[in-house]
Amino acid sequence: MEPTVEVQQRLSPLLRQIGPALYELDPSFREDMRVPARIVADEELLREMSQDHSMLQLVNVTTLPGIQGFAIGMPDMHEGYGFPVGGVASTLLPHGVISPGGIGFDINCGVRLLSTGLLHGEVEALLPALAHDLARSIPTGFGRHGRLSLDLEQLERVLAEGVPYVVDVLGLGTREDLPNIEAGGHLSGADASRISVRARERGHDQLGTLGGGNHFIEVQRVERIYDREAAEAFGLFEGQLTVLIHTGSRGLGHQVCTDAVREMDRALAREGIRLVDRQLACAPFSSPEGQDYYAAMCAAANFAWCNRQVLTHRVREVFSRRLGSQPECWPRIVYDVAHNIAKVETYGGERLCVHRKGATRAFGPGNAELPAAYQQVGQPVFIPGSMGTASFVLAGRSESRAISLSSACHGAGRRMSRATAKRQVVGAELRKELNARGIIVECPSNAELAEEAPTAYKDVDRVVDTVEAAGIARKVARLVPLAVLKG
Amino acid sequence: MEAGTYQFEPHTGEVRIRIEGFSLSDLFEEAGYALAELMLGEERPETPPDAQEEHVTLEASDTEALLVDWLNELISRADARKQVYTDFTVDELSERKLHARIRGFTPPVLKTAVKAATFHGLEIHEHEECFIATVVLDV
Repeated sequence: MEPTVEVQQRLSPLLRQIGPALYELDPSFREDMRVPARIVADEELLREMSQDHSMLQLVNVTTLPGIQGFAIGMPDMHEGYGFPVGGVASTLLPHGVISPGGIGFDINCGVRLLSTGLLHGEVEALLPALAHDLARSIPTGFGRHGRLSLDLEQLERVLAEGVPYVVDVLGLGTREDLPNIEAGGHLSGADASRISVRARERGHDQLGTLGGGNHFIEVQRVERIYDREAAEAFGLFEGQLTVLIHTGSRGLGHQVCTDAVREMDRALAREGIRLVDRQLACAPFSSPEGQDYYAAMCAAANFAWCNRQVLTHRVREVFSRRLGSQPECWPRIVYDVAHNIAKVETYGGERLCVHRKGATRAFGPGNAELPAAYQQVGQPVFIPGSMGTASFVLAGRSESRAISLSSACHGAGRRMSRATAKRQVVGAELRKELNARGIIVECPSNAELAEEAPTAYKDVDRVVDTVEAAGIARKVARLVPLAVLKG
Repeated sequence: MEAGTYQFEPHTGEVRIRIEGFSLSDLFEEAGYALAELMLGEERPETPPDAQEEHVTLEASDTEALLVDWLNELISRADARKQVYTDFTVDELSERKLHARIRGFTPPVLKTAVKAATFHGLEIHEHEECFIATVVLDV
């Protein structure tokens, strides 16, 4: 690995500003680059990115066979493996490559926002009991399986059919939920037979579990509305009680990626692909390995949407139990967005495989894939903060197509390693500090709390302002945490 | 010669481990111990005497891929069987093949959930007296 300081010294001065909060590195920087590397950032975020290897990883992405236009890093970009986290790239179909590393191990990790008709002030006194009940009802951490253990046929149908099956057959939700989930909670390219036995073993009892790391469920209050028209379309208003769910495809998705990286690594020589980083393992979309992975990835994505659907059902059960069964207590889905996924999308008449790793799709108004209620204002984009910091709702803009392949960032983005966070933050004190600010924390481990401390992340307000300045999406609402459930 | 060593290195989003072993077998065993420490937060955790022994046989395209496969095998077995493996004996190791015996137990809590081992920046170097590898794990 190239030393960070050298990368920073060579790369940063070569970035040319091509728009507000938009920088580009010419492919002449390195002879194996096929397209420019583009970064959405301001000067401070660029400086933070220069502290790790994420820019170099983005340059490596530009070498992928079949890549189109540019590789782009979001303002929350940070060092990952292969692709940086916060990286987006598209390849020309049918023969451009698909790379599992450009999606990540947690396939369809994503965020779902639920809204209620309740004002925070109306239920404030009930929040501790609500948070405790959520913690009891939703399995987190290792060895905690979900209350749903699927038999073989059920798992097959979850993988193949996604959320419509969970709603229609298992009764976990309503038909009204479906339009407000990206792709309706079902990717038609899914083929459950491409999922290995090991992946099934890892996933069969994990539906309805949160997992660890930075996954969370957060009860929030809408603190501020920036765009009344979009907020009204999304059903958001100031003082409103909302719930944000962040999790993915759990062990099943992780194993799908592991299986595919192994297969594609073996096929590289046959396909004549030479890589600067082996974790960029890839295969032409049209190849057997590419087709197998795409079909398995779609199935794992369906599993993840079902996971968030089961968690939504659990949240609804708890809300009904603790707050009542009146219509205003029923959490409705504002939207559910994937941020680790590959999608087939059309740009300029070309069919592209768009990889988003730690990035959110941000379609502008009028896109046919959006539900009718959002056609005028654009796709809801969610940018979660970390515990103790705000989360944002934005609306995608049409300009995002040309600027960023209809993509926005997916969070604040880490700026500090977990080890450093643990050295600098005492988990018990952080818990006290959050409690003193009125934020209820349901997390069994102080160490894990410290790893996910707000100071370990970039300034989410700055990241969101940069997305808006770049013209990708506009701010709609700012949400602040009331209770945090962590794995 | 006794066992090798490992240490966790800084990485913004994931976990990077530098592993040293006096032989390749030693290196692979150390990789297993590093993973166990990461998952449990406890250096060289005790393995219960009655822990069941499991056999692992792997084949890969080269030694680097074998190391990634080995770690991924431990990670995926841990996830599927709700176990953390804490005891490793590599009986056979060639450039592309490994046979090992492993033992583990079900811990009450897990400190760090590990999704997978990656090829990112992966290299295995042979030095005068030891082998050194660096591996990034997705956590």
